[in-house]
Amino acid sequence: MLLEVENVTAGYGAGPNILDGVSLRIEQGKSYCIIGPNGAGKSTLLRTICGLLRPRSGRIIFKGEVLNNLRPDQILRKGICFVPQDRSLFPEMSVKENLLMAGYTLTNKQDLEQRIQTVFEIFPVLKERQSQLAQTLSGGEQQMLAMARALILKPDVIMLDEPSLGLAPLVAIQVFESIKKLKELGMTILLVEQNARKGLECADWGYVLDLGKNRFEGPAHSLLHDPQIEELYLGKRRGTRPQGKTRTLEQGVDGS
Amino acid sequence: MPENPSRDEIVKARKEVYLGSVVAPRVESRKLFLFSLLCALALFPLLQVASGRFNYWLHMLLFTFLNVTMAASWNIIGGYAGYISLGHNVFSGIGGYVAGALLIFYGLSPFLTAPLAGVVACLFGLLFGLITLRTRGSAFIIATIALVLLTKLGLDNWELLGGTNGVSLPLLPLPARFVKLPFYYGMLLTAVGAVYLSYRIRHSKFGLGLRAIAQDETKAEVAGIPTSLYKILAFAISGFFPGMAGALWAYYLTYLRPTIYFAILGAAEIVLMVLLGGRGTVAGPVLGAVLLVAMNEFFVARFGSTELNIAGTGLLMLIILIFFPEGIVGTLRDRKKLPRLLDWG
Amino acid sequence: MIQLVQVFLLGLTLGGVYALMASGLTLIFGVMRIVNIAHGAFILFAAYLAYWGFKLYQIDPMFSLLFTMPVMFLLGMGIYRLLFPRIAGSRRFTSMTVLLTFSLALIMEGVMGFLYSGIYRSANPPYTTRALLFGPFYLPLAQLYATLLSLVLLGLLFLFLRFTRTGRAIRATMQNRTAAQIVGVNVEQISTLAFGIGTALAGASGSMVSFLFTFFPAKHWQWIGTLLALIVLGGMGSLPGSVVGSFLLAVIAAYLGYFYGPTWSPITFYLALFLILLIRPEGLLGKKLEA
Ligand SMILES: Nc1ncnc2c1ncn2[C@@H]1O[C@H](COP(=O)(O)OP(=O)(O)OP(=O)(O)O)[C@@H](O)[C@H]1O
Ligand SMILES: [Mg+2]
Repeated sequence: MLLEVENVTAGYGAGPNILDGVSLRIEQGKSYCIIGPNGAGKSTLLRTICGLLRPRSGRIIFKGEVLNNLRPDQILRKGICFVPQDRSLFPEMSVKENLLMAGYTLTNKQDLEQRIQTVFEIFPVLKERQSQLAQTLSGGEQQMLAMARALILKPDVIMLDEPSLGLAPLVAIQVFESIKKLKELGMTILLVEQNARKGLECADWGYVLDLGKNRFEGPAHSLLHDPQIEELYLGKRRGTRPQGKTRTLEQGVDGS
Repeated sequence: MPENPSRDEIVKARKEVYLGSVVAPRVESRKLFLFSLLCALALFPLLQVASGRFNYWLHMLLFTFLNVTMAASWNIIGGYAGYISLGHNVFSGIGGYVAGALLIFYGLSPFLTAPLAGVVACLFGLLFGLITLRTRGSAFIIATIALVLLTKLGLDNWELLGGTNGVSLPLLPLPARFVKLPFYYGMLLTAVGAVYLSYRIRHSKFGLGLRAIAQDETKAEVAGIPTSLYKILAFAISGFFPGMAGALWAYYLTYLRPTIYFAILGAAEIVLMVLLGGRGTVAGPVLGAVLLVAMNEFFVARFGSTELNIAGTGLLMLIILIFFPEGIVGTLRDRKKLPRLLDWG
Repeated sequence: MIQLVQVFLLGLTLGGVYALMASGLTLIFGVMRIVNIAHGAFILFAAYLAYWGFKLYQIDPMFSLLFTMPVMFLLGMGIYRLLFPRIAGSRRFTSMTVLLTFSLALIMEGVMGFLYSGIYRSANPPYTTRALLFGPFYLPLAQLYATLLSLVLLGLLFLFLRFTRTGRAIRATMQNRTAAQIVGVNVEQISTLAFGIGTALAGASGSMVSFLFTFFPAKHWQWIGTLLALIVLGGMGSLPGSVVGSFLLAVIAAYLGYFYGPTWSPITFYLALFLILLIRPEGLLGKKLEA
């Protein structure tokens, strides 16, 4: 087991628990997709894993080591990279500078330069735009840059929060293609997606998160074809949680 | 012919029996407490009339009323809406100068013109709010600090009203024994008005909107609250009673001078009172004002009036901010230990 | 005409010092979203240090920054560590910082008032009474030296931010705090450092102030008004913005003082502040002030 999240609760400030006992089991080299309605706490979960938010209880274990009380920079050095939902680039720095910043924790300059070139091979667009300011990139390019930034560090786990958010369908497909490429390279991927079908298609295993709790999990392709999941989370009305249906789902979870 | 009560009604009735014996009389005792407090304050000057030896106490009470007025009014914008004003003494300054000018140039008594002074302060607040409250967050605080400095600068250079040295106002023609009484009642009325206003606002839809703004302005806006309008209105309204109080205070002191009204320290003390008592509560500002006046008096009597008082004010504020950001009333309420006498809604 | 140019020059040579004052404040706001109302008090405290260094040990106040800067650097980091982690994560963080640094300013004012009383002071090394004459114009040497020194310091700050690893981390944190965390910047450490650098810049400003102006403990309120206007003008958190703003306002203030008398020149800053809030709430170059 590479990364294990055990019954974690977390929330913001003095507010209520947003995560209300979430568990994940992430194995080396596999890819995982977390789906769930808006406000389920998916982003919060990723933020908690990478240390931007401290868990209130439960444990996060990576390579046998508890991460609970580490700072984000320490967790990053352990090998977990995060690409947040809003991409979080440095708007007033060029593409190249953004990538240099990505190597902030590396000390060897030549090595960093080399890694940047490798990343340019995966995302050739970025090479063309390397001296352009990040804030002037298109949405798709920004997403590429955000992913490239995470890849610089050759992490053990890469966590992507809604990489297709706000992208035109064609561009989104490109992004999913690059995710699949990463998967073929043997990288461990933890993906959060609103676009649940596409997300599950990229993944080996799927988790359904709702109201801060695990609701369902299983092999990605079987989730894709599960009628209940389909009705609740894959339907046309993306992002709206049909009221009153949760109970059936819970029964489903209990029954499974 | 009465119908049989439903189950809910029975439960409710039972609750009243069990809890009522605990709760109901206390509500009464709170009302009684406030009522007798007001009576005592209203009757207190009789002692002075009878003996003539209570001028000091009248002065202290009057000064407390002034501060209660300021703190309770500040609470409307700073406590409910969460927009901290570090320039609220500007309102009393404007009230003082308006009433003072009317007295000097037209011979109108500030007792008559005080409400007008309040209205002018309101309008001023409206104007200032229009400029600064369209922005969100901390730009407002910065602007209020600048407001104090700017107003002081303006009046320092306004020779017609005495500039830096200020100008004296005619005395109220009453014997020394009685001269404080009209001010006392005037200020008491202002303070009660300010507290009552803040109470009413807290329990209104408007107040709910303000508190939503304090919680999360974006969400408030999404929920359809006209946030800018509410903020600007709250700021303007919070200027009315300070304007009135300022008019009375100027007449009471018998002079106008920029330094008394437009000192940063004065603004800080208003904020401190509310923070000490409890932001966003009704009783907090009153409690804070009383405590701070008493504390200042104690320290000045004990150690004399030194610069260290400024440091003390700062230190107290720092400690409250870090350790008791909810103030006395807020902290007690969070711990469910607030005495009913201080739970004013 | 000659007069007008002269006024321009006088304003310009004050601009550098204002820029130095504002840069520390901007750095602190930019990195941590802290509005440091105590910045003026820090400057004043350093001015007293420089003043006593001159009075007691005849240290030229210009060189006093060799000790005011380190002292203020350490003091700043200490204060940051002591106070700010405690309010981190509170709602309306920036508003909280205003109140917190406001109380800090009161404490410092009170202590300085107690120690040094309200007497007006100023260090007077020989160059404070001399002027550089060229053609029909003159420049007071003190002002000239102070501005040149300020520009040197600003240049160093620029080089540090631009070309060192730590400097890049500071800039990255200013641009996007979360992003900085994600790439492995220890933002708490960077914040402590940035606060220290900000107060060290206040220290340097204090050294200049000690021989440029007369000062007394409550004087910092005048400066904080000025400084806040400067950084609002510069667009909160933008260093180039605050430098440009400083020069601009210094020159305008000089003209206002020339035409309407010196008591009116501070009004420039306040009016500028309101004007900016009215027409461009986000400042000239950029960022919005958020809660
Ligand atoms: N910084 C924050 N402070 C307070 N509450 C927050 C914060 N960020 C998120 N929340 C709250 O936490 C809850 C979960 O948010 P989160 O962003 O984790 O959901 P999500 O599953 O990622 O949703 P989406 O699909 O919309 O991205 C929401 O109710 C949100 O309002
Ligand atoms: Mg999300």
